[in-house]
Amino acid sequence: MNEKRKNETPLLEVDHLAVTFYTPHGTFNVVRDVSFTIQRGEVLALVGETGCGKSISAFAIVRYLLPFHPGESRVDGTIFFEGKDLIAMPDSELQKLRGNRIAMVYQNPGTSLNPTMRVGLQMEEVLKQHLRVESKQAHQRTVELFDSVGLAEPDRIGQRYPHQLSGGMQQRVMIAMALACDPDLLIMDEPTTGLDVTTEATILDLMVDLKQRVNAGILFVSHNLGTVARVADRVAVMYAGQTVEQGPASAIFKRSKHPYTTGLLQCVPQPPSEDETNTRLRSIPGDTYAPEEVNLQACLFAPRCPMAQEMCHTEAPEILSVGDSHQSRCFFWNNVHKGIWGELEPRDEGIRETAEPVLNANKLQRFFGQWQRKYILFGPRVRPPVRAVTDIGFEVGGGRTLGIVGESGCGKTTVARLVAGLIPRQRGDILLRTEELAPMIEERTDQQRAALRMVFQNPTTSLNPKLPARHTIVRSLQKLARLSRKDSHERAEELARAVRLEPAYLDRRPEALSGGEQQRIVLAAAFAGESDLIIADEAVASLDVSVQAQVIKLLEDHQRESGTSYIFISHDLGVVRYISDDILVLYAGHIAESGPAECVLNIPSHPYTEALLSAVPIPDPDATPTRIRLGGAVPTLRERFQGCFFAGRCPRKIGPICDNTPPPVHIGPGSPDHAIHCHIPVEELIKLQSD
Amino acid sequence: MARFIARRLGLICITLLVVSVVIFVITELLPGDVAAMILGKEATEESLERLREELGLNRPAHERYLSWIGDVLRGDLGDSYALKMPITDIVGRRLRHSVILAAFAFLVGVPAAVAAGIWAGMHPNTKLDRLISMTALVGISVPEFVTGLLLILLFTSTLHLLPSSSIILPGVNPLTSPQILIMPALTVTSVLFAYIMRMTRANVIEVMQADYIRTAILKGLPMKRIILRHLFPNAMLPTITVIASSFGWMLGGIIIVENVFAYPGIGQLLLRSIETHDIPLLEVVTLIIAGTYAISNLLADLSYAALDPRVRLA
Ligand code: SF4
Ligand code: SF4
Repeated sequence: MNEKRKNETPLLEVDHLAVTFYTPHGTFNVVRDVSFTIQRGEVLALVGETGCGKSISAFAIVRYLLPFHPGESRVDGTIFFEGKDLIAMPDSELQKLRGNRIAMVYQNPGTSLNPTMRVGLQMEEVLKQHLRVESKQAHQRTVELFDSVGLAEPDRIGQRYPHQLSGGMQQRVMIAMALACDPDLLIMDEPTTGLDVTTEATILDLMVDLKQRVNAGILFVSHNLGTVARVADRVAVMYAGQTVEQGPASAIFKRSKHPYTTGLLQCVPQPPSEDETNTRLRSIPGDTYAPEEVNLQACLFAPRCPMAQEMCHTEAPEILSVGDSHQSRCFFWNNVHKGIWGELEPRDEGIRETAEPVLNANKLQRFFGQWQRKYILFGPRVRPPVRAVTDIGFEVGGGRTLGIVGESGCGKTTVARLVAGLIPRQRGDILLRTEELAPMIEERTDQQRAALRMVFQNPTTSLNPKLPARHTIVRSLQKLARLSRKDSHERAEELARAVRLEPAYLDRRPEALSGGEQQRIVLAAAFAGESDLIIADEAVASLDVSVQAQVIKLLEDHQRESGTSYIFISHDLGVVRYISDDILVLYAGHIAESGPAECVLNIPSHPYTEALLSAVPIPDPDATPTRIRLGGAVPTLRERFQGCFFAGRCPRKIGPICDNTPPPVHIGPGSPDHAIHCHIPVEELIKLQSD
Repeated sequence: MARFIARRLGLICITLLVVSVVIFVITELLPGDVAAMILGKEATEESLERLREELGLNRPAHERYLSWIGDVLRGDLGDSYALKMPITDIVGRRLRHSVILAAFAFLVGVPAAVAAGIWAGMHPNTKLDRLISMTALVGISVPEFVTGLLLILLFTSTLHLLPSSSIILPGVNPLTSPQILIMPALTVTSVLFAYIMRMTRANVIEVMQADYIRTAILKGLPMKRIILRHLFPNAMLPTITVIASSFGWMLGGIIIVENVFAYPGIGQLLLRSIETHDIPLLEVVTLIIAGTYAISNLLADLSYAALDPRVRLA
């Protein structure tokens, strides 16, 4: 710490914070040892994976802990806000700080706003409470604040109820509300998690802009290193309830001095580097630390650390200064470098056979509901059915991965369910190699069912909670691979090893396994059938990055060994980019672009793909953010398109033709399979996008 | 909104029509002869025949139904078979009595239940909450006729404070002798209170966990405002549906209570008209009960929409 800093009192000073919950199910040391400081005008990001205690640390600052765990809680350590002790402060005084000097923005803006109250009123009540202003002034100030967070029609928006606003607008309202009284400290708890990536990008832009305008310190809690790199000045990394590393953003991202941070950074699929070399994703072995374990006589990261020595298991490391305001909780911080997680392996691309497609889908269509008529059964048609997918066709090559991307409501999950036969299609056909597949799974033959497996986002839906994990795998082996009882038990253990689980885990019930372990059991069961095609619908979305990377690598290995094809559905373009050979970009139930991954992700691409790509936050503080942002409202699910489905938000829209005529399909350069559904000719796109 | 209400009212009319047909058919199928029941066992075949003629019982069933419903649609409810009086007169008086009972239960029971529910929900697992919740549980599990009998046992047999039956002579306003109202009203209220209180408590507990309550707290608002503006409107939404459906439930309770205390209301009339196969009377009483039920549900939906912008502005 330099001299200048020492003299002024920091805005917020958290020192050795620990939070313990005493519940009927046991004692949970959710936060063990957290220390950080925030100065005015500074953004400190608190990052870490699920259960590391980052959100609870943030809520401890405003003394809001009860709802996390019913029962007793205990807070140790100190929290000083402008020199005042927040832990000891009486409630009445704290109430005057909340919403006034210390304001918060939360994850899920949709549920954080009162559904039965106009948003303007929800804003005004803060102003009236803390600034004691009259209604008229409060109203005026509300309009100003709405304007300052970039809400269109700021004078009208206050009349709306939360459900009439999109997720992005709701979050802007929340941010405006937090800024209402010019707070000194702004706490943002995963403010962009759950928003679509294009919306997230606009909210992050707003945050970067706010940083310059407001003189508040900001505590930004996030699990997403990409968003952190975009907004943070300093970063504190948490693991198992402890801050393990802390420092300026560039130091953390470039010269990390803790093995966990370096590992975490390498788990995030990165865009291919300049020289186009593709390296394999790396992962951190094992699972995150459980809050009920209490052995504090060791480094809590030791079980997963590649550098762990004797002493790491018997002694707890203290926070050590490792550079200019850069600290690490590691005995051997001096030896930490990127290479500790193993040398970068080039990715074994092989030659992916495209000879014969495994699956061929044509003109798939699915709407939900019916046209509603004015008088129940008669009269003019007044309300169209909900659009899911309109006219979608694609091919999955043998041993290849088709990635399907798009934001919520684009129809990607419907596509998966149509292929898997979980919902009937209304039009179109699906060929498995040469056989036509019946619409519903019950009508398909046993071989066809064995050939096609589905993995869902939530592993618990695929596991029987009453039976040991083994059961799920063995059942697949007996039913689909037709193994005998004895063989299937042996094979199950092999499969468990293939997904990096000790066979002993097979005898546990699902509830005794972590989310990552459960998902690996589900994968083992999916691998068991020796299927031709596995459909993974957001299969890694709920996993933490370190565990997500493990699962992605398993999928990769399995494909290389068995030649299974995948349909990989995700909202995370980074992950899709990493794993896919071919990519299908969907928007509002329509195909925007399709083709081999390298073509789709390069110039030229469809204006929507372009916007998606530029919205993905990159975990590098020096990355220059691209400024293509989507305005306009996401089309409603019932909207029918006269012209281009993307016309309402397209930043490259060329004129009335976009509104009136459905776009033609242009074939991009590089591959005859590269299809772009847009009025702009390919050469023109190349020119536009190279600038 | 107007179209919605019109549609719902139309549906209610259809429902009532169906109910009237069903009641008619069931009474037709029940054993027993109206004429014999009115005139008694000693009646001669001749006089029975004359009565049947007079009441039009000789005509085929569908004809009788159609002429009855025709009269009703013209506003003429007809005469009771057994009492030989215009139904309007009989029902009018009885209805007034029942409304007094229901109004008491509703005006006292519902606000008390909602208030108790909110308090208990805000202070879950405290001693008083446990006491309220236990009482409510007992209130729900014990059927009305048992509660009624227990009250009689306590107030009449043991304490000799109140009369055991609540007979009201014609022409007497029950409000002038409130002591006969106390026990029936208490009985009806007990179940209503218990049910609504429990639902309110559950809703309050749920809403207290909601993210927007957290927002309100961390906005630094005082507790009073959080309860009034953020908790109350949201916790009341599901409660309103419960209140409406418990209104239907209460009607059932009133029928039983009136019979236990011999209170001359619409419920007692219902039982009497079933016993005597008095079809016109039975039809009218049933339609009143069914209609009240349907209308209260409609009112619940409307007030739900009024309170919830997500429904109103969908
Ligand atoms: S202290 Fe030891 S186990 Fe912990 S991070 Fe450092 S090297 Fe790894
Ligand atoms: S057709 Fe027009 S609106 Fe659609 S993507 Fe192309 S330029 Fe944009």
